[in-house]
Amino acid sequence: MVEALKTAIAERLADLEMVIGWEMGFDALHATPLFIREEGDLHRLTLGPLAVHNLATYLPGLKGKKVGVVVKGCDSRSVIQLANEGLIKREDITVFGLCCDGVISHRKLREALPADLGFVEQATWHSDRLQAVVAGHAVEVRLQDILADKCISCRYPNALAADVLVGAARTPAPQPVPCQDAFDALPQAEKLAFWEATMARCIRCYACRNACPLCVCRDHCIATTRDPLWLGQENSPAENFMFQMIHVLHLAGRCTECGECERSCPVDIPLLLLRRSMNRVTEELFDYQAGTTPGQTPPLLTFQVEEARINERGW
Amino acid sequence: MRIGVFICHCGSNIAGTVDVRAVAQAAKGFADVVYASDTMYACSEPGQEGIIQAVREHNLDGVVVASCTPRMHEPTFRRTVERAGLNRYCFEMANIREHVSWIGKDTERNTIKATELVRMAVEKLRRNRPLTPKRFDVTKRVLVVGGGVAGIQAALDCAEGGQEVVLVEREQSIGGKMAKLDKTFPTIDCSSCVLGPKMVDVAQHPKITLHTMAEVESVSGYVGNFQVTIRKKARFVDWEKCTGCGLCMEKCPSRKAPDPFNEYLCTAPTINIPFPQAIPKKAAINPETCIMKQKGKCGLCAKICPVKCIDFDQQDELVTVDVGAIVVATGYDLFDWHKYPQYGQGRYPDVITSLQYERLLSASGPTGGHIKRPSDGKEPKTVVFIQCVGSRDRSVDRPYCSGFCCMYTAKQAILTKDHIPDSQSYVFYMDIRSPGKAYDEFTRRAMEEYGAQYVRGRVAMIYPKGDQLIVRGADTLAGTQVEVAADLVVLAVGVEAARGAAVLGEKLRVVPDQYGFFVESHPKLRPVETNTAGVFLAGACQGPKDIPASVAQGSAAAAKVLALLVKDQLESDPQVSRVTPARCVGCGKCVQTCPFGAIKLVEDRFGNPKAEVVETVCQGCGICTVTCPQGAIQLEHFTDNQILAEVQALCPPRIRVNYAS
Repeated sequence: MVEALKTAIAERLADLEMVIGWEMGFDALHATPLFIREEGDLHRLTLGPLAVHNLATYLPGLKGKKVGVVVKGCDSRSVIQLANEGLIKREDITVFGLCCDGVISHRKLREALPADLGFVEQATWHSDRLQAVVAGHAVEVRLQDILADKCISCRYPNALAADVLVGAARTPAPQPVPCQDAFDALPQAEKLAFWEATMARCIRCYACRNACPLCVCRDHCIATTRDPLWLGQENSPAENFMFQMIHVLHLAGRCTECGECERSCPVDIPLLLLRRSMNRVTEELFDYQAGTTPGQTPPLLTFQVEEARINERGW
Repeated sequence: MRIGVFICHCGSNIAGTVDVRAVAQAAKGFADVVYASDTMYACSEPGQEGIIQAVREHNLDGVVVASCTPRMHEPTFRRTVERAGLNRYCFEMANIREHVSWIGKDTERNTIKATELVRMAVEKLRRNRPLTPKRFDVTKRVLVVGGGVAGIQAALDCAEGGQEVVLVEREQSIGGKMAKLDKTFPTIDCSSCVLGPKMVDVAQHPKITLHTMAEVESVSGYVGNFQVTIRKKARFVDWEKCTGCGLCMEKCPSRKAPDPFNEYLCTAPTINIPFPQAIPKKAAINPETCIMKQKGKCGLCAKICPVKCIDFDQQDELVTVDVGAIVVATGYDLFDWHKYPQYGQGRYPDVITSLQYERLLSASGPTGGHIKRPSDGKEPKTVVFIQCVGSRDRSVDRPYCSGFCCMYTAKQAILTKDHIPDSQSYVFYMDIRSPGKAYDEFTRRAMEEYGAQYVRGRVAMIYPKGDQLIVRGADTLAGTQVEVAADLVVLAVGVEAARGAAVLGEKLRVVPDQYGFFVESHPKLRPVETNTAGVFLAGACQGPKDIPASVAQGSAAAAKVLALLVKDQLESDPQVSRVTPARCVGCGKCVQTCPFGAIKLVEDRFGNPKAEVVETVCQGCGICTVTCPQGAIQLEHFTDNQILAEVQALCPPRIRVNYAS
């Protein structure tokens, strides 16, 4: 698959300022974004379960430039959504789409290994198994055991609206994320107690915001302004939770569930719990999934006197 | 800021269940409050003087009045603080009557709630800033939508008042429902004789431009400056040339066109003038039944027309007009009585609606004014009238009274006796509702002088027997069943909102109530205004109304229009959205969501896209402000910080870790 992708990129690279993909990172279990500017960079390109990053996040910052981007199914939704909101120009972007088998959760991997990730000496993938040597111990981990939650519930494994689609199309087999239903079933008070406890460890580093492909306010984020003063800089559970609630609501009808917020969180806050609930509501109310249909107007960017699925009178 | 707080007793309305003195005392402790007192009636002359005096004595620069709903008296107090030398937006109102004293009886808790509302108002006021309205020019022209009697009256009064009028009517002729009526209650004068001259006046008035067979396509703009696009439907006749001679109607071989003017009792020629007094008296072709339009040959009308005005290729035409005000007078339509199984659902041709009966009575109707029943053309000797068909009936979601059916049924009973002296009328009714000058006397006459048999009760079923219809119902006064063998049954069908009212309402931003009638601004004090400035209501589009009430409303709406258009300039409300360009990232979400098209994207001097609000177009609805993720667009007088301050005043944060503690 990677060779086919390299050929496709090589064909188009001349017309593009750069193509964004992945290369191997600082160790055998981390990939890192790769900016391919010339053919000589191409050999570094890598794919597979370590290619966790949503590279569409770079696109709004490159608005106005001709750019290629390699995307998984989930990432392609971000591209579509950004284009639908006018935050990028679709015609400027060349989308190299992948048919994806899922990526790993480094958190789950960490738990599956006998020692910390830093002690990994070597790692090789054998189709759906990872064989690694960690602190002298040989271990084998199945991909399905360390698959990211978003991949378990993935409805779009094949990149949408791709200019070039690489690989054979996968059949989506979404499974419900177990933690989500269990959490949604909790009484309200317990949910609040959970968030109060969890938000206490948030350090307000804004990694979740910076990794989000749809957070485009850049230096003007409401979280760091005094006018309007929606929240202070105090690092308390209340203010932290307020920030997360604002983040979720700003993503209403926009979030493509790429999971970058949760992945980037250094203190392992399960932020997708909030996002999935929100997305479920927008799907119920507007029959809408962000970033699945090019050219579609997001429901909260239109004005209608009455929405078909919102009963505004009968109650 | 130096804030003064005034707590109103409103007689005993507020003071009865709120300790106003305690509220005033508590207010003295709020931030920036330097003066607080209670007053018997804040809105009264001495009450307002007290506020002005306090402003001067205590050097106040902000005022909070805690009293009733701001809908009524906010303008009053804004004028008061302006008289005291303050900006009118350095004023806040706390509603401690509708929101507190009228809804709770517990004085202690009411006092707490009132205090909290005052605290919120103070916190908001501390963040208010003086605002100044802008002025803009007014287009001195009015659009009247609907050419029934209410619209005609509004158009004539506006035109007489010196304003240009554009009258838009969906049908081929103006006149509306009234033009279909034979006689009118309670005077039994000829409907077209009283309406006709008014219709002619409309046609001849130099200030009135009439568009019939036309509908409002779109409306943009705001009070004083509406842009309206009108779709004039293709009529396939050049009305500039047509003289209304009627030769084409006589010769047209296709005579099966539906005849809405005659309530579909008969058919009409495909090229037709609906009735002799039609305004404009011009022919139009129904393309559905026209042989030329359907099969491409015929063209008899074009051959016969002495002025050669037939144009089979005519297309819909869009006309754009600028107007300063709009009067909506779209009237009503009849309830679809076929929902009722007991009246045969249309199986019996001799069960007709009251409006069809009017056409049978009318000399210009299909029977030339002789009552002949539809099935066999026989003169009916026994006529049964059934009232409240689609009125006061929750089972069909029409719980309201249509208001005028009792009266026209009495009229029709009288006219039946006049037309056929040996006839007998029966009226099945629920209650007789005849408030109005000479109305009750009129219904009495129908019973006493014209011998109409009034039966109080509902009809359970109608079924045919021979060439008659058996009407079976209850007589609740006698406590018996009654059966009447009728030759003709007339249903007094109730009134509902005109078809298309909802679509038009959306274009005009006028809200319909749950039954589709347009909602007025205030049920008592602003009956012809809507909540959209510059849009007024007249006639039955606002609720069932008889002719005198519709005419009165037409005149009332005209008075409102004239009062508006007499001004050369209007003040725009400064409570509008404002963009902080430094914070705007130019994502354009506000532009997409604005229902008024008041926001556009412009480029700043570095070429970055930035949102910009057109202040006179912005209605201050605030949708953009909640859409803007970074809060770069704020509604003046209702900024995020003001609302947050109110929320904080009401519910201080529950969880808070403070490193200092």
